Amino acid sequence: MEAMPEEKAEFEEAEIKYVSYGGEHHLPLIMNLVDQELSEPYSIFTYRYFVYLWPQLSFLAFHKGKCVGTVVCKMGEHRNTFRGYIAMLVVIKPYRGRGIATELVTRSIRMMMESGCEEVTLEAEVTNKGALALYGRLGFIRAKRLFHYYLNGVDAFRLKLLFPPPPRQELSPSLDT
Amino acid sequence: MSDNAVSEEASMDGHPPNLASIPASDSTIWADACPLLHAACTGLRDGELIHGDNFNLFAAMSALEIMDPKMDSGIVRTYYSIDEAIENGAAPIPISPDSTIDVQCTIDIMDHLLACEAAWHKGHSLAQTVFSCIYLLRLDRTAPHALLHSYCRVTRATCKAVVSVVSDARTHEEEDLFTMIYGLPLNGDGDDKCLSMLNAVEETISRQLRACKAASSKRRLPEDLEPLQSNPNLEEGFCKALLCRLRFRKHFFHILACMKRPQGRGLESARKHIASCTTELESILKSADFLRSCFGESCEGDINDKTTASGREPIGFDAMLNSRLSAPMPPRAIKILSWKKAVEYFVKLLHDLDVICSHSLDDHLESLLRFVVQFQKSQPDLVARSHLQLLLVQDGKLYGRDPFFAVITKAAALPEASKNHDIQKNESILQLGMLVMNLLKILCTNAAWQRRKLGKLLQDWRVICVQVELAFRNAFGEVSSSSNDENVCMKIFQHILLWVEEQTYWIAFRFLILGFELELYSTSEYCMVYWYLYAVLIKLAEKTHLKMTVSYDTAKRKGKKKKDSPKDLARESRIPPAVLFLQCYICLAEGLTMMLAALRNEISVFQSPGPFNTEQEKFAQHFELLQRACIPDHVSYPSYKESTTHARFSTLAMYNYFKDAQRIVKEVKSSFSNDPDRLSELRKLEQVAEHNSVAQNLICRLGALDPSLKVSFEFSHHPFFPTVVVKRS
Repeated sequence: MEAMPEEKAEFEEAEIKYVSYGGEHHLPLIMNLVDQELSEPYSIFTYRYFVYLWPQLSFLAFHKGKCVGTVVCKMGEHRNTFRGYIAMLVVIKPYRGRGIATELVTRSIRMMMESGCEEVTLEAEVTNKGALALYGRLGFIRAKRLFHYYLNGVDAFRLKLLFPPPPRQELSPSLDT
Repeated sequence: MSDNAVSEEASMDGHPPNLASIPASDSTIWADACPLLHAACTGLRDGELIHGDNFNLFAAMSALEIMDPKMDSGIVRTYYSIDEAIENGAAPIPISPDSTIDVQCTIDIMDHLLACEAAWHKGHSLAQTVFSCIYLLRLDRTAPHALLHSYCRVTRATCKAVVSVVSDARTHEEEDLFTMIYGLPLNGDGDDKCLSMLNAVEETISRQLRACKAASSKRRLPEDLEPLQSNPNLEEGFCKALLCRLRFRKHFFHILACMKRPQGRGLESARKHIASCTTELESILKSADFLRSCFGESCEGDINDKTTASGREPIGFDAMLNSRLSAPMPPRAIKILSWKKAVEYFVKLLHDLDVICSHSLDDHLESLLRFVVQFQKSQPDLVARSHLQLLLVQDGKLYGRDPFFAVITKAAALPEASKNHDIQKNESILQLGMLVMNLLKILCTNAAWQRRKLGKLLQDWRVICVQVELAFRNAFGEVSSSSNDENVCMKIFQHILLWVEEQTYWIAFRFLILGFELELYSTSEYCMVYWYLYAVLIKLAEKTHLKMTVSYDTAKRKGKKKKDSPKDLARESRIPPAVLFLQCYICLAEGLTMMLAALRNEISVFQSPGPFNTEQEKFAQHFELLQRACIPDHVSYPSYKESTTHARFSTLAMYNYFKDAQRIVKEVKSSFSNDPDRLSELRKLEQVAEHNSVAQNLICRLGALDPSLKVSFEFSHHPFFPTVVVKRS
């Protein structure tokens, strides 16, 4: 039996609608996408952890009512830095290569920046050229290599994006010494 | 109660549980939780989560979905316990009443065990690999089967020895999964006698081999031996296949024992066993054809994926039996290495161990460091690296023999007598000894982990530099008298201080170039990386030269009192070859920096402006640890910009650093004629310099004019200096 050739979806970039996580009704969409495309098995609690605590950092991409991509993130204090973390990023195969993932990630990063994050981080397989290129274009560097990070023995890069320091605020006169 | 449970569970899915295999004990009972779960389902609305003091959203992430095969690996199991597996015939003794099949299956078990062992070495848990063997888990019951019993016993003793080596190395790299034995039966009574058992079996099979060869040549032997198995046509092949496998185990066990001997005393013997072991591995590989063909069955699937030479599945293995012993959480299923890959792994391991055993136990720190760096180039695995580390650092001494203060005084080019000086009791000198010891250990770890540790080490070395300098000043703040002892003391401090500075820059250099090996830098970051490398190399060369000059002066002062001959003066002014070698690096680094800067400034390539940050943030991130330790001083993003902002093709054309590099290589080659590694590297540097010189000329002439020109960087000749490739797209 021959493998079906990969079919690319036909669409205009403007037809893709990006939506911030809006509630429980989005959860099965996210879960289905991630379960389908990523090898790591997550329980429903993992998804809930992210979308309950940081709903503003997760986004979904829709094409004509169908969910075609999602990004799931968190942020928090880590060793004296306030840091964002990209946990999951998926776009279904027929929709790849058209900038959807970049748009999803960009929206999330922008939100992190506005929320006061100093940096953003994630791990990616060293063999995942697509992800490395995507994040490279957004300003991430490969900060570390993690030996045999994944169960299949593949190494990972820890990718980090450092935001420039925020513009200096005017100090109130009472604080000036 | 249990009856209800049976009927409830049986109704839930088609898989009837065997409750007899999970008996209730004195302190446990079975209780039906279904009514509680039903109530909870009706009581919770969509999106609600039970939480408590110790169970919040974060903790909930560790939850498993029961019966989901991806998470609940226990669902994919056949037996609850080892005893149940044995009762159901999973590991029969004998394996088969037919002696030929028994032998065949024994060989399959041996092969699969080797594959498991290799998988363990490569990073999987012992429980899911070697100890997935039911025969190994209950070794005593194999006693009636001498062949299997002795083989398993040696394997167990070997694994124990290897765990011991890796534990002693104690570097806690990511590979700490390796030493977790979680209650596996690794310690056996009588395992120390395993070799004599193995020898006895080997002897028997050797005699059987001689007997069948005699029979085939119609000679009669005095002894009347029972053959190994019942098919005379296969007797020779099976004997040979078994002998090489037994001998491999014997020699491998000997290697570990020899290498464990203190102060490297067993290295020469180890080499002999390594040679024998390698020969047996070759025989093992050759036996594969016979084993595959002897029954005429063709195996399903690709033979290259199989974990045995014959291609058949081995009897007596179940990776799930140990799921409770493998890790804090049930582990995910793993893939055992193929038999071919396992043999390849051991061939490489033996080669790497041989390199270690060939080391001359040199107490010159500089050449030792070069040896370790060279050794790491072949990417040795954990077991080999642990052995190297344990050879180098034992009982707080180098090779268990040389105190680190003596090593330091030698490295600092001090006279031999200095190693006994009281200065070694000074607090900062003691700490320095510890730092050197730690540095050696870190250099034996995997590159990814090593780089992170070297980065952290920079701060420690910078601090020790300051401390030694302070100690120096405190001791000689006021130079009043010029007592002989004080002069000696001052000299020692001076030399050591210079050496520490040099060593600190060497660590920084190593930290930067490991980034290339680990592929941490993207092309748009090369310009800043080579610029920083250039800055570090300049300081390294300076310190190296200074150290050599001071040591030469010291030697001179101790020696002749006559006027310097012209030859001496000439030697004094000549730059030492080691420094020239560094200058070659410097020229290449500078050349690459300027070329990349010019390309960026003129035709806007190799830059990567992102929407969220600038090159300055990337600079801060890549060089954070260096900057924090002020290595070097006065180096910053603004100074980087200043150095590179005016680079243009026209300025590039004015000076060819690559030609300088070529010239230096030619000059210095003869000085390294006795050093094959450095000579080899010089040749590579020469190639890089030559190619890049041509490329630079091309870029200068055509770069601004020809938009189809594409420039790329390939590490085809040298690991951290790329060859510039110019093509038309």
